[in-house]
Amino acid sequence: MGIRDIIEGKKQWRAHMARVDALPADYRIVYREMQKYLFKVGPVDLLGDSLLPGIVDFFEEGAAQGKGVRHLIGDDVAAFCDGLIGDSPTYADVYQQSLTGKPDADAK
Amino acid sequence: MNFWDTITGNDLTREYKGFEVRAAALPEDHRAAWEQIKAHLFLYGSFTGRNLMPILDAALALLETTAADGQSAGEVLGDDIPGFCAALAGGAGARTYRDRWREQLNRNVATKLSRLGG
Amino acid sequence: MDGLTEMLKGTLEGCVLEIIGQSETYGYAVTRRLNDLGFTDVVEGTVYTILLRLEKNGLVEVAKRPSEVGPPRKFYTLNDAGRSELEKFWAKWQYLSARIDTLKEGGR
Repeated sequence: MGIRDIIEGKKQWRAHMARVDALPADYRIVYREMQKYLFKVGPVDLLGDSLLPGIVDFFEEGAAQGKGVRHLIGDDVAAFCDGLIGDSPTYADVYQQSLTGKPDADAK
Repeated sequence: MNFWDTITGNDLTREYKGFEVRAAALPEDHRAAWEQIKAHLFLYGSFTGRNLMPILDAALALLETTAADGQSAGEVLGDDIPGFCAALAGGAGARTYRDRWREQLNRNVATKLSRLGG
Repeated sequence: MDGLTEMLKGTLEGCVLEIIGQSETYGYAVTRRLNDLGFTDVVEGTVYTILLRLEKNGLVEVAKRPSEVGPPRKFYTLNDAGRSELEKFWAKWQYLSARIDTLKEGGR
């Protein structure tokens, strides 16, 4: 499912963001900043492959145990994000692939 | 024939018009960002139109998502649309921008959490 | 010990596989186990990204169960692919540590 399908399915998206809004403030801040980063980096298969809902599940669990978000994921939020998306292709990879017809070895 | 027709061929014009219809539905500052993104992406000489489509689609979808979410375009793209476009297109500079976004993310989190008193 | 993060990166996934292989477990328990071992810098977020990857690569079975606090918890067990991946990890580890020991002892 691509971003556009999410927009078309606004209801599902709103339900997702409502869960985010229900998180403690520190989690909410970190989630929103992470989402911005993830959107910029690559074609995040949003609610489709459960990356974002998965983060919210994980955050809800941490919050329920009374932990602060920093305690849960550490200071390097970017490293956490990169760990989440692993080696899924970025926008740049997709474009470079369209030019050469093969994965961009240089981008690895 | 406009610039777009020249570089893409007419078969892509319809798809592009679809983008413009979607862009027209965006709030004003998102629409302004869209205009800037297009202008900067055109700087990449290797864009033939066909391979530009998915990137335009992605950029537009990002703007749609942030608009739906009530976030401003600036909040998501920063004030650095050229950098955003370079990173979208890959090649020289893409990784530098990725690094900058990483720093930006960690800095934003640190600032906002400290404001929270945590 | 401080400053282990970089060196641990390539082996943490194997450690998590081993912990899951010993008995069914969940993210927080895996983190605690690693912390108790002396890997104090490992946070739950890091373990979460590893578990996500193991799941995506089909190396673990996942069961959601209710927890006393908060939302349901994901429990992990190894499947056959996970067990064979774990064997490979230990083989590589033994090779690596044996070679490095030899180096240190001045042999060749």
